[in-house]
Amino acid sequence: MKKQKVKNPFFLVVAVLTIFSLLAASCTSDDGDETSTTDDEGNVVASDKEINVAIVGNGAMDSIEDLTPEFFTEETGIKVNYTVLEEQNLREVVTRDVSAEGDQFDVVMIGPYEAPQFGTDGLLTDLSAEEFAGGDEDYNLDDLIDPVREALSADGKLYAAPFYAESSFVMYREDLLEAAGQEMPDAPTWDEVAAIARAVDSDDVAGICLRGKPGWGDLGASFTTVLNTFGGTWWEANEDGSIGEAQVDQPEFKEALEFYVDLVNDAGQDDAATSSFPECKSLYEAGEVAMWYDATVAAGFLEAADSPVAGKNGFAQAPIKVTDSSGWLWSWALAIPEANENKETAWEYISWVTSSEYIELAATELDGGWAAAPPGTRKSLYENEEYLAAAETFAAKTLESISSADPDNPGTTPRPGVGGVQFVSVPEFQDVGTRCSQEFSDAIAGTTSVDDALANCQEIASEATAEQ
Amino acid sequence: MKKFLLSLSTWVLAILFFFPVFWMFLNSFKTDFDASTDPKLFFSPTLEQFREVIDSKFWEAFASSFFIVIVSTIIVMLLAVPAAYALSIKPIPKWRDMLFFFISTKFLPIVAGILPIYILADALSLLNSRTVLIILYTAMNLPLAVWMLNSFFREVPKELIEAARIDGASIRSQITSVILPIVAPGLAATALLCFIFAWNEFFFALQLNVNDYQTVPIWVKGAVDERGNFIAELSAASTLATMPVIIAGWFAQKKMIRGLSMGAIK
Amino acid sequence: MKFKEKWLSSDGWYRRGPILPAFIFLLVVTQIPFLFSIYYSLTSWKANQVRIPREFIGIQNYIDLFDDRFFKSAAWISITMTVSAVLLSILLGIIFALLLDRKFFGQGIVRTLIITPFLVMPVVAALVWKNQFLGANFGILNWLLELFGFDTIEFASKQPFWSIVAVLVWQWTPFMMLIILAGLQSQSDSVLEAAKVDGANKRSTFFQITLPHLRPYLELGVLLGVIYLSQVFDHISVIRVSSKSKNVPYYVFERSIGGGWEFGQASAYSIVVVIASIIIATFGLRVLSGLIADNEGA
Repeated sequence: MKKQKVKNPFFLVVAVLTIFSLLAASCTSDDGDETSTTDDEGNVVASDKEINVAIVGNGAMDSIEDLTPEFFTEETGIKVNYTVLEEQNLREVVTRDVSAEGDQFDVVMIGPYEAPQFGTDGLLTDLSAEEFAGGDEDYNLDDLIDPVREALSADGKLYAAPFYAESSFVMYREDLLEAAGQEMPDAPTWDEVAAIARAVDSDDVAGICLRGKPGWGDLGASFTTVLNTFGGTWWEANEDGSIGEAQVDQPEFKEALEFYVDLVNDAGQDDAATSSFPECKSLYEAGEVAMWYDATVAAGFLEAADSPVAGKNGFAQAPIKVTDSSGWLWSWALAIPEANENKETAWEYISWVTSSEYIELAATELDGGWAAAPPGTRKSLYENEEYLAAAETFAAKTLESISSADPDNPGTTPRPGVGGVQFVSVPEFQDVGTRCSQEFSDAIAGTTSVDDALANCQEIASEATAEQ
Repeated sequence: MKKFLLSLSTWVLAILFFFPVFWMFLNSFKTDFDASTDPKLFFSPTLEQFREVIDSKFWEAFASSFFIVIVSTIIVMLLAVPAAYALSIKPIPKWRDMLFFFISTKFLPIVAGILPIYILADALSLLNSRTVLIILYTAMNLPLAVWMLNSFFREVPKELIEAARIDGASIRSQITSVILPIVAPGLAATALLCFIFAWNEFFFALQLNVNDYQTVPIWVKGAVDERGNFIAELSAASTLATMPVIIAGWFAQKKMIRGLSMGAIK
Repeated sequence: MKFKEKWLSSDGWYRRGPILPAFIFLLVVTQIPFLFSIYYSLTSWKANQVRIPREFIGIQNYIDLFDDRFFKSAAWISITMTVSAVLLSILLGIIFALLLDRKFFGQGIVRTLIITPFLVMPVVAALVWKNQFLGANFGILNWLLELFGFDTIEFASKQPFWSIVAVLVWQWTPFMMLIILAGLQSQSDSVLEAAKVDGANKRSTFFQITLPHLRPYLELGVLLGVIYLSQVFDHISVIRVSSKSKNVPYYVFERSIGGGWEFGQASAYSIVVVIASIIIATFGLRVLSGLIADNEGA
């Protein structure tokens, strides 16, 4: 019958797909059974031999997944179940889990924004205690570069062990600057950098690439360092560290924003309002911008063997105005949620992956070699001959940038919160920083005026003060 | 001649419309640098992007997604077909209100829904399982399926159904031998849409299955390296992720042929 | 009707039985979270600050909402973005469906090609468009513009709203096309034959027979399109977030897990969205009466 014929192929396809998926499902579930146990409620929990680790999907973290099976699991028998997420998603999931004292993860990757805040709230384990790094001489806590360690601590206790750290500086094409008759000092001021950018800027090559994409960690970070060194700040600080009156309406803030917007519009890249690290990196590698102010880790990419601009780059400290330094400070670090019951196993993992032995392992086992080793965390790395040879052009400048960052006092006035350079270490900053950076990004794109952007931001920041 | 021009312009339009997807396929074979700088149609192809993205998680993600999506789509169809019958062929008295209820379940922004759902799933030990996503995707797609099937069922000539009923056919056989063959194109369209929505769903999968049974969209997102030139790698991951849906689409559109109903009416 | 007659008679089961599984399933799975949300909306809950416990504050969140001009601006964007995207994609969807309703060489391939934009993950589609097509530095559209001697246009930076709408229309036209095509397929051939025999040309056949027949499908497309397109999120997040392109779902996300961590307030916003949607839908369905018209002679 005609009707039967019509139905059959469809159902056949469905049946085949169902069988296939059931087979596929049963194949993969075998892996899970080997090393995990189920508790009374049927939850799959990490047993002593397995931990759940959430990390961010940055290129720098690629090495972790590759090296773990051979060099960690085989040695210790601990299986590591990685969840790799993009920064925004990672923050969503980790913050939700840690704040609710959940048990989704044994180890979480966070930064200097979360670590001190969660630490003071009692949500993270103190890693400088005796049973962890404090009593482990091999780990060598004192080898950690001071600002990096400080940024991840509160009240002297280390709440997250850094895997890599970065500051910010200016990267520039020596050949393009020379051709335009310009010279970059080692420790320039923003006025000098702006002048050079405007001089080098042409139809084919933009003077400088600056972040303009909205987000407290994108434009927010880049701009806040400028704000700091122009003598401005987001909020006054109350005695107890909470946020006071919003300072967005102050003249220093306006000066900083106007400077940033004008520089980007005069000598910056096209589509600045949607540009962040990846976009500027592409532009720089393609030779369409002559300078780039961004994270120190970019240097590793630009000077890599296969980079189109290898060997043509110079590096200068983050530009200043009224402060002595302005480079930001960020690191991706591993922490153990206090609610976790697997702390010893978690620490065994953390102490492996943030140790100097690991850095050496990454350098020798992976393609990038020493130049691609996770930078910025340990003083010993910057005394290592092989590293200094491979990262000759930028290692010293990177170390200087990181060392000169002062999270507790990044500007000219006291800051609220528990210390941060390119952000304000209070819970409200995620929201305020993001929404304000949207306004500033609109100012860069020209769809809002600087004054309107400032007024809107002042409103947002004041709301946050009122609501706490 | 006119027919030929019409067919030609259809082809041209289709190719233009498809071009961004084609470009994504093309990018899968480029190096990071080639893909993120000036657009190139000619380049030296490489398989390195595919090598990068096909890691151990790839197979797991596909297996999880296949299982979750197919099971939930089957359940949706099994629930929606009788429901549509009860709303169109022999409508229950409050059918308008019922339809409204179904669609109103989609009004709550999912960002608000995630919190209670997470807490409930945790309490029921359903986190990191395929079950929780199957349940959610079924609930997500059911209103769509019911509304669509309702429209298609209303097209079925009443006389045919009456004839079958008088012949003593139960609801089930009325549906399977009279209604379904006629609405086959609509059925195919509905099943395909449910498949697509479930396959590409990201938010719930991220929040609920963060450790285990991760689905394809999460795996694709994991290929986005914010600190690098990610577009080539992302294109490769996305090309792989779109393959099953394209195949599903191919099968579905085969069912959408006019004239299928004619056999029944004659 | 008394309970006994309604439910226990065979006619009662016959009519209501088939819809029970779907109804009960949906009721349980969706209404429990909804009730929770109502409860949360009456609390002040800063979810990322554990030292501040969740406290019951009654309807304060709702009162605050009325003063929130960012919410109002997001609501306006929601409305304009949804309407633009729905109208444009239905228009294109009709054109494509009509073109595909014929027999021609390789129609299966063409149909599959046209469906593909809808199959790509929204995040990926938005990224590909932003990065490869709309970009002022390396985008294909600007590359074409430069080829013909025009200035580059910073699509995503300067026109975020329309850039987002463009990508939405590109992705959702296939959705509309599928529904309308299914509607076109269900046209009775005998009726169309009869019209031809009666001497009607293509134009009048379209306007007098096809279009009325398509009405419920067009209305279905509008209804579903509005529901889905009003919840757009990924495209905004990827292409450009600004006050000119931020809709309500994105704003609610921002106030909750996107950085605000104010779950109480976000829940209140969501409940208001539900109430507004119910009002709009009730009104809308009266306009889209083809969807809920009685079948002749039920």
